Amino acid sequence: MIRDVDVAVIGGGPAGLAAALGARRAEARVLLLERDDCLGGILNQCIHDGFGLVLYNESISGPEYAERLAEDAVREGIVVETGAMVLDLAAGRTMRVNSRGGYGLVRAKAVVLAMGCRERTRDMIEIPGDRPAGVWTAGTAQNLVNLRNLRIGNEIVILGSGDIGLIMARRLTFEGLRVKGVFEILPWAGGLERNIRQCLFDFSIPLELSTTVIDIRGRERVSSVVVARVDDRLKPLAGTEREIACDTLLLSVGLIPENELSRRAGVVLSPATGGAVVDETFMTTVPGIFSCGNVLQIHDVADGASLEGFEAGKNAARFARGAVAAREAPAGIAAGAGIKYVLPQIVRRGTAGAGLHFRVAEPRRNVWIEVCGRSSGTTLFRRKYPRLLPSELQRIMVKTAIEEDLEVSAHD
Amino acid sequence: MSAGLFDVAVIGGGVVGCAVLRELSRYRLRLVLLERRSDLAEGVSKGNSGVIHAGFNVRPGSLKARTNAAGLRAIYGLASALGVPHKKTGKLVVAFDEDGRRHLEALRSQGERNGTPGLDIVDAAAIRNLEPEVRGAWALFSSWTGVISPYEFTIALAENAWRNGAEVRLESGVTAADCRPDRFILETPAGPVSARWVVNCAGLQADEVAGLAGPADFRIRPFKGEYLVLDKAAGDLLRMPVYPVPPRDESSLGIHLTPTTEGPVLLGPSGETAEDKDDARSTRGIMDRLKAEAFRLVPALGRIPVIHAYAGSRPKLDGLATADGPADFLVAESRRHPRWINLGGIESPGLTAAPALAEHVAGLIGAREDLRPREGFEPGLPGRPRFARLDDADRAARAAADPDWGEMVCRCEHVSRAEVREAVGNPFGARSMDAIKRRTRCGMGRCQGGFCTPRIIGILQAEGLKPEDITKKGGSSRLVFGRIKP
Amino acid sequence: MIDRLTCLLCPLGCELEVETAGGRLEVRGHQCDKGLDFASEEILRPKRNLAASIPVAGTDGRTTAVRLSGRVPREMIFPVLAEIAKLRPAIPVRRGDVLIRDVLGTGVDVIATRTVV
Repeated sequence: MIRDVDVAVIGGGPAGLAAALGARRAEARVLLLERDDCLGGILNQCIHDGFGLVLYNESISGPEYAERLAEDAVREGIVVETGAMVLDLAAGRTMRVNSRGGYGLVRAKAVVLAMGCRERTRDMIEIPGDRPAGVWTAGTAQNLVNLRNLRIGNEIVILGSGDIGLIMARRLTFEGLRVKGVFEILPWAGGLERNIRQCLFDFSIPLELSTTVIDIRGRERVSSVVVARVDDRLKPLAGTEREIACDTLLLSVGLIPENELSRRAGVVLSPATGGAVVDETFMTTVPGIFSCGNVLQIHDVADGASLEGFEAGKNAARFARGAVAAREAPAGIAAGAGIKYVLPQIVRRGTAGAGLHFRVAEPRRNVWIEVCGRSSGTTLFRRKYPRLLPSELQRIMVKTAIEEDLEVSAHD
Repeated sequence: MSAGLFDVAVIGGGVVGCAVLRELSRYRLRLVLLERRSDLAEGVSKGNSGVIHAGFNVRPGSLKARTNAAGLRAIYGLASALGVPHKKTGKLVVAFDEDGRRHLEALRSQGERNGTPGLDIVDAAAIRNLEPEVRGAWALFSSWTGVISPYEFTIALAENAWRNGAEVRLESGVTAADCRPDRFILETPAGPVSARWVVNCAGLQADEVAGLAGPADFRIRPFKGEYLVLDKAAGDLLRMPVYPVPPRDESSLGIHLTPTTEGPVLLGPSGETAEDKDDARSTRGIMDRLKAEAFRLVPALGRIPVIHAYAGSRPKLDGLATADGPADFLVAESRRHPRWINLGGIESPGLTAAPALAEHVAGLIGAREDLRPREGFEPGLPGRPRFARLDDADRAARAAADPDWGEMVCRCEHVSRAEVREAVGNPFGARSMDAIKRRTRCGMGRCQGGFCTPRIIGILQAEGLKPEDITKKGGSSRLVFGRIKP
Repeated sequence: MIDRLTCLLCPLGCELEVETAGGRLEVRGHQCDKGLDFASEEILRPKRNLAASIPVAGTDGRTTAVRLSGRVPREMIFPVLAEIAKLRPAIPVRRGDVLIRDVLGTGVDVIATRTVV
């Protein structure tokens, strides 16, 4: 079974749905491939509100946000296949797809990668100890609680103060489980301020910074964890160890863009983001393969993933109809002092009004963000911010046409 | 499940016990294997590197050497017949100086005395040719060394034995033995099991099991080893096991790098005395040392993420080591009770030696009884179809005939629902998450079960399991505590 | 009693100090009036939305999710959750269905957020 389409979108979450719509509205024949039984991706288990502030000017839950986009997708004539997993992607944009309806190939004139991300695991951060049941990444726990109505434990410790951990702290408290504390290895919290307040402070759940889990105990089921404070190199400080009785450890220690397929297709990835190197149209280093959403960079707000998706999809449609000129040696955009990463990393020379995303490496106050030409030294953009946090993705626009390599940096 | 008298009861469902069971199933014997845990291969056979040893690292004349050599000759054919993934990769033992080179010569010489085929000392250029990422001045290249999945091998041996009429009972630990003149009555949680012969393959607990039939004349001490597992991308950098020559002092662990048949590379095992036979904890200090030494030997591995860590213990015979090295395998009929055979201290090269040890045990029984061959003995297993390894045409055909082949449960290892369904239906009733993992590879990839676990929980619930009865590895390792709202 | 909180209304993120003394409130650190209102409400009358998931009757373990149509006083969180825990809507459930109108007299509805058909 071989199918030919204009634009294939891999992943039907907030980015993929938007990309499919963006491509469709630019008049391409679109196939949206989603491996789960229904569209929505991670949104389906994010039952809390806070979604849609940008797209719909309302605060709605993840499932509602997903359903609205999914209904648009179907109504606008996007061919949707759920339960369909893309197993392989070649640079020539041929995919191997498996689903209960059959196994076959899809050939696309343009592909949008929107596979989202996976979670960092216990062993990736090498937490020592036993290997009992009861250690979950926060997203998996969220799936079990919100989609399957399963009681994951009774006394919970959470490692990592990113939003997923905070949201789960509240969610589990709502269901009568006891969350004994949230521990964060860095000296600052990873999640949004709003969540610190509404998920922890509201329920008197302690948040301990500069602290991490150094041991998991329990032969068959978690019986306790040991936490310790860390020094400024994030190494545990002897003498600060404390044992905390619990039966569940949730890990919210980072998200990793899921770029397996991208790698197979030869897409160049950026170590700073874990996602593809892209240009201002969200096209990767492989012509005709575009990337958006969490697989490109981890977003804090789903609306941001969707905005990228609309753009990427529209550009994929343009590519599919041959309306995109080959990209000659682009200008590079580097992350300078104080900047964790900048996206896009490459820009067609002559592009004016390019939108750049960035994150600062550490919390800053009264900080200048500058965009400078690396050869000329000219400043193309300069703005002062009262406050910037690594957890908040920032967007700026460089009005001037970009002709040379640039660097984005943060200065006091 | 039959009551009544068995001819042979094998105690212990590791690779040795299952090899013994399978070997004995060639004959017309009523056989039962009693495993105390909720699945096979959960003891010593779990903390196993999965190396098929060529036999140059064992003392000539020892039972270890004889069974290693015989096992090597049998194991590749046996693994193929049983459909167990394995590969004759070759192996490099790497040296960096003259001292090391002399050690390699000694190993080769020892191997020659043991009848090990295919041993050569090679130079740095040859090393680079064989394994471009490995650093070393000289190496012993052993072309007959290979890798095999230790738990898939164990399970396949048991399933083959079962197809040939043997019984396998999980969660059937033997807690007492009533030794009568003509039989042994073994106490298990499900009731007494009577057998004329007992073969004790209980690994770390072999001394305790031996002690059920009167004071044991050997003791097992755990010698712990920790492992780290590198993402399967490491499999592109290393194709065969690489060991440094054993270090002269304790400054280094002398750790091994072992690729697996599926791609991930194992670092380890370390080696330290342990207090507790069930200690399987990973420790910070050892994990750091494993990485440091591995990346010194193969720097390119430094950029590959760690996906998993685990630990286990080797069953060391206490007090029987000599100046010549570690103790030999112990395979002996109890002096007090005829027809009770103990196997003790079956550490490396136990996996390779298992088929030969099994024949040895059959020989001990056959010396006193007339063993008649079983009619219609099936020596092989079809080998389970794996979606991940099928070609496009095969995948398409299967998905068309059975939609469960079209549904991916494990995204990292590309395991289909059909395979999970098959695993859940295994003949021994092993239904823990780890049991399914061992049979399908679900949960062994880079996300370590983050994606597949909720789906497998759903499948088990569809099979009738209550959520609170779904465990990670049997016993009280429940994954969830029931439903939130009834 | 001194409370410290970060105003969430705009990117300035003013760090506010709120002192409660004898029933009166003094707010410091805000740079606009909205911050003043924010602090007052957060300290005196914090309001929250909430979400939960519930099984759908007539299915084999499928769930829907709910949220509130507006915010309720923070102290109503657990009483409202208790009302939600009693719900067992039957299939079909549609996004937006009002499952409890004016829950516990708060003026706010409990609405379904996931369609289950």
